[in-house]
Amino acid sequence: MNGVTMRIQKIILRKFRNYQDSSILVDKTLNIFIGENAQGKTNILESIHLSSLGRSHRTHDDEDLIHWNYPDSCVEIYFIRGETEHKLAIHLHRIGKRGVFLNDHPIRSYELIGLLNTVIFSPEDLFLIKGTPSGRRRFMDSEISQANPVYFKELLKYNRILMQRNQLLKKIRERSQTADLLETWDEQFAPVAASVVVKRIEALKKLTMLANLIHRRITSNKENLMISYSQHEGLLSENNSSPVINDIKKWFQKQLIEHRQEDIFKGNTGIGPHRDDIVLSVNGINLRNYGSQGQQRTGILALKLAEIEFIKSETGEYPVLLLDDVLSELDSMRRGQLLGYIQDRIQTFITATDAENFVDRKTGKYFTVNNGSVME
Amino acid sequence: MQYIAPLAKVIEQFRRLPGIGSKTATRLAYHILEMEKDQVRSLAQAILEAKEKIGYCSICFNLTDSDPCQYCRDQGRDGSVVCVVEGPQDVAAMERTREYRGLYHVLHGALSPLDGVGPDELRFKELLMRLQKNNIKEVIMATNPDVEGEATAMYAAKLLRPMGIKVTRIAHGLPIGGELEYADEVTLSKALENRREMY
Repeated sequence: MNGVTMRIQKIILRKFRNYQDSSILVDKTLNIFIGENAQGKTNILESIHLSSLGRSHRTHDDEDLIHWNYPDSCVEIYFIRGETEHKLAIHLHRIGKRGVFLNDHPIRSYELIGLLNTVIFSPEDLFLIKGTPSGRRRFMDSEISQANPVYFKELLKYNRILMQRNQLLKKIRERSQTADLLETWDEQFAPVAASVVVKRIEALKKLTMLANLIHRRITSNKENLMISYSQHEGLLSENNSSPVINDIKKWFQKQLIEHRQEDIFKGNTGIGPHRDDIVLSVNGINLRNYGSQGQQRTGILALKLAEIEFIKSETGEYPVLLLDDVLSELDSMRRGQLLGYIQDRIQTFITATDAENFVDRKTGKYFTVNNGSVME
Repeated sequence: MQYIAPLAKVIEQFRRLPGIGSKTATRLAYHILEMEKDQVRSLAQAILEAKEKIGYCSICFNLTDSDPCQYCRDQGRDGSVVCVVEGPQDVAAMERTREYRGLYHVLHGALSPLDGVGPDELRFKELLMRLQKNNIKEVIMATNPDVEGEATAMYAAKLLRPMGIKVTRIAHGLPIGGELEYADEVTLSKALENRREMY
């Protein structure tokens, strides 16, 4: 194996989804879970995603994750990071808060982010370009959070300030509070918003470089991929590509005052990182509006592979890759590009309905998933 | 599980207390049934007595069993400094330092639109009246370092500065006796931001 790679060694699922009690010893390269639909393939990937980002990629409700016959559930993942073994455990309960443990010591939920880094590629990602801005923000935020835990905490703080400010705006509209109270929230809003925006722009600069290298390789140097941060008009043109945090802070302070009446009328904050977006373009053409489906898929593939390289460059280790039912959605050319890229460098977990796509593979482990049981 | 009615009532009462789930509530209720009757009576009396005898100090709104409270009565304290805190438990924390010799003012909460708390729900009016009447030179804002506590401190600063009163904010930073490498990133960057020159 080249370089250091974060890798999972063992996954234990207790009363998780349709698993009673399963212990899965995984391979350090490729792990392929094969089975019919609704047998529990994705549940395995979901448990890894949960241990990495603290949330499922399919549900917001912990109760959905617990086996229907039981009050509690537990996921344990043994993994290697920086050449050291770690054990991560998440206890889920129908009543009461979840518990998160690193090497048997309780940690806070937000401390989980950045311990076990993963990149997930699922059919929903194929709609990232066409889909809503919130999907693209989620993509950007989870990627930066894994590489930079300070970013994640700032995002939480930003969201809290935003919620408080929006609630206050509604109260001012109903005339149960006065507008001068906004100042105390605006003063906190501007620096945190500026810091989130600057970190996003910095990260996207690295990501666009990596994605373009990959994109050029896939398209035999015919196409150039550009990822840019789309902000409320006025900020980026003033500050070019290397924004200074203080300028952005001042810009937000000014905007908040200018938009105050509008914000009060709407009961909502109209500007800020929660409204921003990313734009992917190929050879200068916006992929969202003008890209063909093939171009969009190649763009997504390059973006996902760049995400892997981004986390590697920020943390020093390749993340674990989760491919959830996505191979069957890709044509053979893109599938070949993806599998060729992974090689044996990146530990990968794949779900598929048949083994057809992997016939020439000699490395890795095959698992058969059948009604909540996994067999090698 | 069905408990006999008087027991169920005790469990339900315990369960309403903060930090107590149904398991702990049940254990406490069974424990009380095991206790001597005298002990149970003195426990019940102690709770009732505390509730009846303790009220708010009419000056600083700290909890007290005599009005004004022990801190507001104390002639040895520095009457020109007032430390503003969110709750009575914060007064106790400040007192444990044995360093602070000024007075207190308890707001009973922090600004939080999401919880329906505005300035009128806090003891700001009383603070203003206190500052107008007495010769107070400095107000120390010792609210929590979260977004609500910060907003409360900023609001106070805006309110009091025009009166010519010095408003200060307690510092954020590294815990004493802690090790730098174990500090979380946010605390460390705050500490870096608030660094000071050495003499």
